Amino acid sequence: MVSQTFIITNQNGLHARPAGELAKIASTCSSDIMLRVGEKRVNPKSILNIMAAAIRCGTEIEIECTGASEEEDLKKLCEAIEQGLGE
Amino acid sequence: MKVLKVNQPASAGIAMGRAALYKPKIRKIAENTVDTNEIPHEIERFKEAVLKAEAQLKELSEANPIFAAHLEMVKDSTLHEAVILKIAEEGQNTEKAVFGACEELITIFGALEDAYMKERAADIKDIRERLLNNLTGVSAAFLTYGEDAILIAKDLTPSDTASLDLSKIKGLITRDGGITSHVAILAKSLSLPALVGVKEIMEEVREEDYLILDGYNGEILINPDGEILDKYNLLLEKHLEENRLKREEESLAGKTTDGREIHLFANVGNTGDVKKAVNFQIDGIGLYRSEFLYLNSSYFPTEEEQFLAYKESALLCGKEITIRTLDIGGDKTLPYFPMEKEDNPFLGWRAIRISLNEKEMFKNQLRAILRASAFGKIKILFPMIISLHELLKAKEILKECMAELSEQGISYDGSIETGVMIETPASVLCAEELAAEADFFSIGTNDLTQYLLAVDRGNAKIAELYNSFHPAVLRSIRLVTQAAHRYGKKAGMCGEFAGNEKATKLLIGLGLDELSMTPAKVADIKYTLRRISYEEAKSLAEEACKQTSAEAVIRVLEEN
Repeated sequence: MVSQTFIITNQNGLHARPAGELAKIASTCSSDIMLRVGEKRVNPKSILNIMAAAIRCGTEIEIECTGASEEEDLKKLCEAIEQGLGE
Repeated sequence: MKVLKVNQPASAGIAMGRAALYKPKIRKIAENTVDTNEIPHEIERFKEAVLKAEAQLKELSEANPIFAAHLEMVKDSTLHEAVILKIAEEGQNTEKAVFGACEELITIFGALEDAYMKERAADIKDIRERLLNNLTGVSAAFLTYGEDAILIAKDLTPSDTASLDLSKIKGLITRDGGITSHVAILAKSLSLPALVGVKEIMEEVREEDYLILDGYNGEILINPDGEILDKYNLLLEKHLEENRLKREEESLAGKTTDGREIHLFANVGNTGDVKKAVNFQIDGIGLYRSEFLYLNSSYFPTEEEQFLAYKESALLCGKEITIRTLDIGGDKTLPYFPMEKEDNPFLGWRAIRISLNEKEMFKNQLRAILRASAFGKIKILFPMIISLHELLKAKEILKECMAELSEQGISYDGSIETGVMIETPASVLCAEELAAEADFFSIGTNDLTQYLLAVDRGNAKIAELYNSFHPAVLRSIRLVTQAAHRYGKKAGMCGEFAGNEKATKLLIGLGLDELSMTPAKVADIKYTLRRISYEEAKSLAEEACKQTSAEAVIRVLEEN
C-alpha cells in the first residue's frame, strides 16, 4: 500500500468538475483506491461519493492505493491533483 | 407597476423584454411491480438509458465543462448499484428505481452545510431528468418564447440552459438557487443579466408581462410606465456605451484626466494564473502569492522547482513581477510542516516570522527568486512585517544568498528591489523608518482592515463591522503613502479594496501609485481611473479622512 497527503487548493473545493476529473482518472486505475478526509473514507472512483464528502479548499486529504500498479496509480492521481484537476 | 427585489444580483446588467414562463410538465412516474423474469429486461433498459445519456453528455461537454461532470455522474457505480438494487431486490420498474435512487442522493446533497455543494443537488436532478427522458422518450421541459424574452423559471438545470436560444433571451430570473448556482455562473459567463432566488416570481409575473430586469440593483419592475421605461432605455444605452468604451480604452494608459499615471497590476497564485493574466491589459504582476507552490506540493518545493516556476512566470509576464515570500500560518498550513495548534493563528507564527526562524527554507526561496531575477524584472515582497528589525534581517539573509550565488558564478539581478507588505497596524505606524530602508510598499487591505479594526471577517455576527472604508483604514493608507513619497518610494495596494471601483477615486486621492487586483477587474478600474482628476481626488480623500465612520465616508463618496 502506498499513500500521500494533499491540500486541496481548488477555490470551490472538490465540486462537480474537479470531482468528476478525479473520478475519471481514479476509474482508469486498477488498484484499490481510498480517499481519506478527516474521519471519512470515500471511494474516489465515484464522483457522487467525492461530492457528498464536501471537500473544501484548504482541506487535507489522503489518497491510498493498494494493488499491483499502486505506485504508478498514485503517481497519476498525484499529478492530476497537483495540477488542479482541470481547473 | 410592481417591483420585486433581491439582495444580491446573480449577474449584472439591464434587460428589458416580455416574460416567458418556463413550465415543466408534471412528470408522472410509472409504478408497476416487475416480475422476476422481467428483471433482466428492466436492468437492460436502465443500461440503454445510461448509454444514451453518455453519448448526449459527451457531445454537450465540448461546449460546457459541467457536462463532463454529469457524464461521470451517469457512469457512477454508486448510482448504478442503487438503481439495480431497487430493480432486482425490490422489484421496482426502472423509472421508479432511477427516480428513487436519485432522490436519495438529492437528499444527501441538500443536507450538506456548504452552500456551494448544496447547489449540486441540482446536478443530480438534471441527470435524473435526462435518464427519465431517455427511458420514456418524453421530455418534461416545455418552453416557447419570442424575441427579447426574459426567461422565468422555478429553477433551470444545466441541460435546460444548454438548450436556450440566446439570440432571443435577454435575461434570466429563477425562483430557487443562490448566487453560486449553475444559472448564476452561466449567466455571468455569458454577461446575461440574471437574478436568482426571487421567491415571489412565479406568483407575481404572468406570461407576456413586460419586465425590466435591473441586474445592478437587484430589481424586477413589472409592467413599468412610460417614464420609467424611458429612464431605463437611457440607462441601458449608457451601459452599452460604457462597455464599448471599456473595451476601447483597455489598451490605453492608466492615467487620470490631469496626467497622473497609475500602474494597474494583477494578483496571481501560480504560473497558470500568469498565463491567464497576460491576456488582460496589465502593467505587470503586483502580487505573486508564492505559498501556492508550497500548498500544491507534498514536500518543501526545492530551490530548483521554485526557480523554474518563478522563471517561467517572469518570462510569461515580460513585465515587472512582485513575488511575495512564503505566507503560511493563519488559515494556511502545510501537511509536511507540522505546526502547533495556536489559540490565535492570525496573531501567531506566520509569514515572515516563520521565514526568519526557518532560515534554510527561507534561503531556498530567496535563492530561487534571485536566480529567476536574471530572466525578468522581479521584486521581492516580505509579508507581515511589524518592525524595521525584521526587514533588516530579511535583507541581510538576502545578501547572504547573493554572496553565495556570486561565488558559484550564478547570475541574478544585483539591484533587485525589496518591499514591505503593509498589513499590520505596527507597519503603518513604523512606515517612516521602513520607507527609508524598503524600495517600495504594498498595502494588503484584507489583513490590514482585519487587524486595524480587530474584526474577524469570517465571523458572520460582526461581518458588517469589517469595512475598508473605515476612516482608520483610510488614514493609515494616507500615512503610508506619505511616508513612502517622502523617501521617493512607491506605495501600491494589493488587497480586494484595490479592485473596487467605488474606492478608486479615494485611493488615487490618498496617493497610491499602483493598484493590483484580480486581472478581470483591470479594465473596469482603468475606465474609472481615466475619468478621475487627481486634484479633485485629493480633496475628496481629505474630506473622507475627516469623517467619523465608514458610513459617513461612503456618503461623501456618493455625493461626489
